[in-house]
Amino acid sequence: MTDQLADLQKAIVEGDDTQAARLVEAALAHGLPALDILNKGVVAGINKAGELWAANKYFLPDVILAADAFKAAMLPLEPRIKASRGAQPTHKFVIGVVQGDMHDLGKSLVIAMLTSAGFEVVDLGIDVPHDRFVQAVQQHQPAIVGLGAYMSTTMLEMKDVIGELKKQGLRERVKIMVGGVPTSQEFADEVGADAWGKDALQTMQKALALVGGSHG
Amino acid sequence: MANPTLEMIHGLLYSKGLHFGHPSGLARIVGGMSGGMMDVVPFLGPQIHDHAMTVAKLPARLYYWDASLLVDTHLAVDRWYGFDSDTVVADAYNFEVEALGAKMIYSDNAMPTVDVGSPLIKQAADLDRLGPLDPSKGRIPMAIETGRLFMKKAPGPISGGFFCSHWSMICQAMGYPKAVRAIKRDKGFATALFDWVNDQVLLPFMRAYARAGVKNANGADAWAAFPNLTPELVEEWVLPYARKLREQCKKELKMNAAAGAAAADYCEEDPSKFDKEMMFRCLAVGVKTFPLKVAPSAMGRTQDWNMTWLREFAEKEGKNGKKIPITASLNGRFMRDSTPDQIVAKLAQWIDILGRDGGMIVFIGNVPADTPPLNIHTAVKATHTLGHYPISADLSTIKVSPPAYRPFDEWLKGQPEAEVIFKAREWKPGRTAVVA
Repeated sequence: MTDQLADLQKAIVEGDDTQAARLVEAALAHGLPALDILNKGVVAGINKAGELWAANKYFLPDVILAADAFKAAMLPLEPRIKASRGAQPTHKFVIGVVQGDMHDLGKSLVIAMLTSAGFEVVDLGIDVPHDRFVQAVQQHQPAIVGLGAYMSTTMLEMKDVIGELKKQGLRERVKIMVGGVPTSQEFADEVGADAWGKDALQTMQKALALVGGSHG
Repeated sequence: MANPTLEMIHGLLYSKGLHFGHPSGLARIVGGMSGGMMDVVPFLGPQIHDHAMTVAKLPARLYYWDASLLVDTHLAVDRWYGFDSDTVVADAYNFEVEALGAKMIYSDNAMPTVDVGSPLIKQAADLDRLGPLDPSKGRIPMAIETGRLFMKKAPGPISGGFFCSHWSMICQAMGYPKAVRAIKRDKGFATALFDWVNDQVLLPFMRAYARAGVKNANGADAWAAFPNLTPELVEEWVLPYARKLREQCKKELKMNAAAGAAAADYCEEDPSKFDKEMMFRCLAVGVKTFPLKVAPSAMGRTQDWNMTWLREFAEKEGKNGKKIPITASLNGRFMRDSTPDQIVAKLAQWIDILGRDGGMIVFIGNVPADTPPLNIHTAVKATHTLGHYPISADLSTIKVSPPAYRPFDEWLKGQPEAEVIFKAREWKPGRTAVVA
C-alpha cells in the first residue's frame, strides 16, 4: 500500500497524468481510504513538485504537467471523498488564477487542502477573465471565491475582479480570498478581500474560519 | 546630419575615440551597441504603444487600425521624451492569429487581445483547416504599412516591421498550457505546430513585407521568456526555428527576419529565487537571438537584480578584457510605480556598475499605459546626466534636477505630427471602417 502511494506521488511529481489516474483507481480498488490517497499520495506529490519549483529545480512547464497529473488523480478521487462525507453540508469554494497568469501549482495545492477539509471546489482554471468569476458566482453561489496570482503584474487583476463583483451586486453575497507569491495581507486589505492565504494550509484554515468553523 | 548611414558611421567612429560633431540618437545607439563610449549613455526607445496612445489621448479603436496614426504617435511621443531611437510596434502578438480568425476582444481604450477562452487551435486537424495566412486579411496590411512608414520616417538599422515569433504564436493560438503539453508530451504535434507557424504563417507574412519594401522585421517571443520556457527548451525549439526563418528570408527575400526576441529573457518574479547560474544559462541562450552580441535584459524584475552578475556575464562573453555591450532594461512596473528619486538612484547604481567603460544602453521593458510621464522624462534625463562621459568618479555628487518639459499637448503644437494626432481625437466609432 505504501508503494502504491509512493508511486502515485512520483507520477504526480513527474507529471504523468495517465499513470496518476490509473494508480488512484488501483488504490481505491485495493480499498485504501480516499482521504489517505488524497493526503499521502496526491497532496504529497504536488507538495514535492512545489518544493522542486521553490528550489529552482522545476520550471513552469514541469509545474503545468504536475498540475495536470494532480487533476487527473482528483477525478476518480473527488466523488469518493464526497461520498465518504455522506449528507453533511458542504460549502462551495470557487477558485481561479486571474487573467494573464498561467501558474497552476499553488492553486492545485490549495484545491487539495480545501477538498480534504470538505469544501466543494469549483476550479475555473488559469488565466480566468473577470466575467468568468462573475458567472461562476452567479451559477454556483459559493461561500468563498479564491483569486490567485503568481506575478506582480497579474495580481492587479484581483482588484478588477472584486470591482466587477461589486458592480454586479454580488460582492456582499460571497467572501473573497486572495493568494499567491506576490500578494500580502496589505495587498488583500487594499483590494478589499476578506482574507489572504499565505500558503495552502493557511488558505484552508482561513477558509474554514470564514464559513464559521470546520465542517465535512 | 540626417543621413542614417552617415549617422551610424559617426557613431562607430565616435565610439572608437574619434570625437567630432554632436552624435545623433542613432549614432549613440550604434556606438553603444558596438561596445564603445559615446558622449552619453544612450537610451534606446522602448516598446511604448499603449502608453503613447494614452499620452496622446487617442481612441484605441482607431489607433490600433491606422498605421499612419500609430507611427506618427510613436515618433512624436518618443521625441517628447528624448529617446535616442524609436521602436514602433503595435500589439505584436495578435496580428497573425487575428487574421487567421482567432476570437478577439476589442476595447475603446486598450489594445486588442486574443480571447483565451476560444482558442484557434484545439487539435492537430485544425492546422489543415486554418491553412496558410492570407496577408490581405485582418490587420496584416496595417502591420505592413506600419513597417513601411517606420522605415521611411525613421530610417535606421532597427526600423522595420514586427511579427509574433513561433512559440508565442503557438501560445496565442492554443493557450500556453496546451502548447507546453505539446512540446513535453507530443513532439510530433509540436513539430507540426512549429512548421505550420514557420511555413504557413510567417513566410507568407514576410513575403508581404518584402513586397512592400520592408527589409527588416523583428519577431517578439515573450512567451519563450524564463520561466515560461527553460533555456534548454528555447535551444531545442525556439532557436532552430528562428534560424530557419532567418535563413529562408535572407535567401528568398533578401530580408532580415529576427525571430525569438525576448526568448530566454530572465523573468524570475521572486527575488528569493534569483539564481546566478540560471541567469547565466538564460543570458547565454538570449544572446543567440540577437544579431549583435549583447548581454540582454528586457522584461525581468531587473530593479532587484544584482547588476554585477550582468557585468560578469558580459565580461565572460567578451574578448581581450573588454565586455560585450549590455542592454540594461528598467522594468516597466518599476517605471510606473517608483518615485523619480528611486528611478534616479537605480540608474546611478547601474551606470556605476555597467557604464563606466562604455557599451551600456538603457532601455525600458515595455512602458505600461498608465506610467507617469514624469518618470520617463526623469529616466531619460538621469541617464544622459549621470551617464555623461567621462562618468564622475562619485555619482552621488551629480545632481539630477527635475526634468523641465512642457505638457504633451502644448509641446505637440507645431510638431509635424500635430494635425494627425489632434484630428484623430475627434474620431468616433463608425466613422472609419474597423473590424471591432
